[in-house]
Amino acid sequence: MTSSPSSSDASPTAADGHAPLAPRRSVLVHLVTAVLSFVIVTIPATLGGLFFLDPILRKRKDAEAGGKSGEVSRKDEKGFIRLNLTRDSIPADGTPVPVTVLDDIVDAWNRFKNVPAGSIWLRKLGDGPILAFNSTCPHLGCSVDFRPAEQDFFCPCHTSAFALDGKKTNDVPPRDMDGLEVSMRTNGADDPGGQEIWVRYQKFRGATAEKIAV
Amino acid sequence: MNALINWLDNRTGFRELMHEALYERVPGGARWRYVWGSTLVFTFTLQMITGFMLWSAYSPSTRTAWESVYYIQNEMFIGYIIRGLHHYAAQAMVVLMAIHLVQVVIDGAYKAPREMNFWLGIVLMMIVLGLSLTGYLLPWDQKGYYATQVTTNIMSATPVVGAEVQKLAQGGSDYGHLTLTRFFAMHAGILPAMLVAFLTLHIYVFRRHGLKVHDAKHAPDTTFWPDQVLKDAVACLAVLAVVLMLAILRPAELSAPADPAVKFDAARPEWYFLFLFRFLRFHAVEALGLTFGAIIVPGIIMGILTIMPITAQVLGEWGHRLNKAFIWLMATAIAVLTGMAFYEDANDRGHQAALAEAHRDGQRAIELASGPDKIPVDGAVSLLRRDPYTQGPRLFAQHCAACHRFNGHTGRGTLVMEMNAEKVPVIGAPTAADLGTFGKREWMTGIVTDYSNHFAWLKNAKWHQDAKAKSAAGESVEFIDPDGSEMADWTSGNVESLKSAENADNVKALVEFLAAEAGHAGTDFDAALIEQGRKLATEGIWAGALNGTSCKQCHETIGDAFPAQPTDEGASGYPTMAKYGSAAWLKDFIRNPGAARHYGAKNQMTASTPEKLTDTDLDLLVRWMTGNHTASTVPDYPSQMEAVNAAISK
Repeated sequence: MTSSPSSSDASPTAADGHAPLAPRRSVLVHLVTAVLSFVIVTIPATLGGLFFLDPILRKRKDAEAGGKSGEVSRKDEKGFIRLNLTRDSIPADGTPVPVTVLDDIVDAWNRFKNVPAGSIWLRKLGDGPILAFNSTCPHLGCSVDFRPAEQDFFCPCHTSAFALDGKKTNDVPPRDMDGLEVSMRTNGADDPGGQEIWVRYQKFRGATAEKIAV
Repeated sequence: MNALINWLDNRTGFRELMHEALYERVPGGARWRYVWGSTLVFTFTLQMITGFMLWSAYSPSTRTAWESVYYIQNEMFIGYIIRGLHHYAAQAMVVLMAIHLVQVVIDGAYKAPREMNFWLGIVLMMIVLGLSLTGYLLPWDQKGYYATQVTTNIMSATPVVGAEVQKLAQGGSDYGHLTLTRFFAMHAGILPAMLVAFLTLHIYVFRRHGLKVHDAKHAPDTTFWPDQVLKDAVACLAVLAVVLMLAILRPAELSAPADPAVKFDAARPEWYFLFLFRFLRFHAVEALGLTFGAIIVPGIIMGILTIMPITAQVLGEWGHRLNKAFIWLMATAIAVLTGMAFYEDANDRGHQAALAEAHRDGQRAIELASGPDKIPVDGAVSLLRRDPYTQGPRLFAQHCAACHRFNGHTGRGTLVMEMNAEKVPVIGAPTAADLGTFGKREWMTGIVTDYSNHFAWLKNAKWHQDAKAKSAAGESVEFIDPDGSEMADWTSGNVESLKSAENADNVKALVEFLAAEAGHAGTDFDAALIEQGRKLATEGIWAGALNGTSCKQCHETIGDAFPAQPTDEGASGYPTMAKYGSAAWLKDFIRNPGAARHYGAKNQMTASTPEKLTDTDLDLLVRWMTGNHTASTVPDYPSQMEAVNAAISK
């Protein structure tokens, strides 16, 4: 009897020569079936969804995983990293110099040791303090350049412009350039007149008026 | 609401579609025996969901595949559940497919007019097996790597185009990045797409002919919804419960990262291919060649399966009986072969040891990858290559275990076997000391209080027996004799004083001093005891008969630092005890056991020159023997001391 193709209009009430259909099922059976069918699909879908939310849900963050690296790092406990240049090597006239910061980078299962992690601008104001700016534009994350002619910082992506002290000079960026803490040291110990430049390198969220470290 | 549904229906006709999908007629009522097809569709859906999620974290290359799977399994949120579900659902799919196939054959559901659907099912089966096979390699662990090697080598046994087929599968003449990218493309792209296409056809043709009813009079006719759907859903829930439970209680294993240079003796295919593995191990099959066993026989079986509808058509009822007999025969053969493979492996000491080692390596790799330095850029495989805890036992087995043992085994948990006079394999007697406790308190205690017994192993050696015979014949021979050396005389001559209560603390102190000189990592030493022991060793201030006998009287350098450039200058004919058992002493001893500062002319140990044992390997070996490595919570190779002692005492 089933060798014939079933008609497309087969319905619970159809009785085209077949045996009579079983009586209609109660609402309860429909409900239980619907719930069960929903459940068997929802469980794996939910588990999958939760897994996909790992970057938000995971308790143990990569940077903390397993504690400190076994090897000697150029980074101190407060997060200051020693740069590869000295105070004297920076022009005294306030011209910004670009510097590459080397850091340990944790990337999921890898830890890359002492690799370029980002770039910063350094300025020396005569005998005064050294200014450090993250070269990432606080607008949308492009790179801020120094324009010698205009004597300003300028982002070629969306024309954000900043004065040499990092203050924004137009309305494109939501905030000033991200200043970084600088510590002058001698043999690793604080010394305002020291030659070693240590910078607390941080990255900040873009597109916000507030400076939020990430 | 109704207006919206009508609007949608006007434009899509979804009501009719739903109607057709859900109100399929089920003659004879809903049955549990009809659930298998639905569980397969469900399991495939489960694989799609978990598979896409795994894809979001998996990285196919030889330096990132294991690493990303490790990361999924051990670091990511519920990663082990997602991977476990995928791992076990894959196996469930094979089981469900087998049940489905057997049922189709027994119920005659393959017969006209359903031949096409049967053939579509065969294609689907091939695709699912292809998915299992390609998925097994993706973690790039030892288990998957070596099992898949076997498969691609079988491919190479294909007549005429074997080499080309293998090259195509591997993406080159050997395994590498491209093997993974190609397997991954097959596993996550091509095969699933084919599966969806063929499954659609399979279900379409199934609906065209309707259910193959087992017994139309079983109950009044009903419809797919809700009666059969309810049973299907319950069955799917059961499948889900089982795989979820397995995923949580027995997390999917990840063995050590694949290393072509490290043999993997525990290689086995996934359990549902074990029957084929066992079949290929029959000598009679082997004799007929790999092509016969691995390609022609499975090909014939698939051929018989494929022509089943024709067999039934041509031979009528007898054809159907023949088909049923064949499917039962196959099921029985597969069950028996699988059982044989499991039984033989369970009773194969070598295989069990290999499994234990594979487990140890895998756990250790995960342990190291979880460490503060995470995984270096050259991949997790280098973690194990540089790890003394992993390499030490292997180097010991290779270079030392011909004479020495480590807690009764070769260093790697296996026993050293040799043929006895009746050509029966028996546990071989060690001919040098068992180094399982080397440099530790137990070792030092043995030397100080029971020297003869401590080195009694040496008496099993041929050189010892020869020397003993020569010596008995009056010849003058220099050899280390556990029973007859000055050291043996000291311990046996003073045995009462050594064991006396008044010297109990002294012996303890001397042992503490000696163990501290060796300074193996992971032991806490007692500074006061060490000082007391040092005095005993250098000044000999004992109680009773021992008083006045110090180690230093013969071993002049005891208590000294081990020189950075050791020479034989001042060698007195007694082995140096300067930092005896320490890494520095051990390295020098392994390189020059016959130097005058060590055993001189009495030495029988082969020097391990840099040509035999590189500096790197020596360092790994010594660091393992002195416990100088990242601490491990992974269970070590179990001691085989009992087995060895039982064998020796026979």
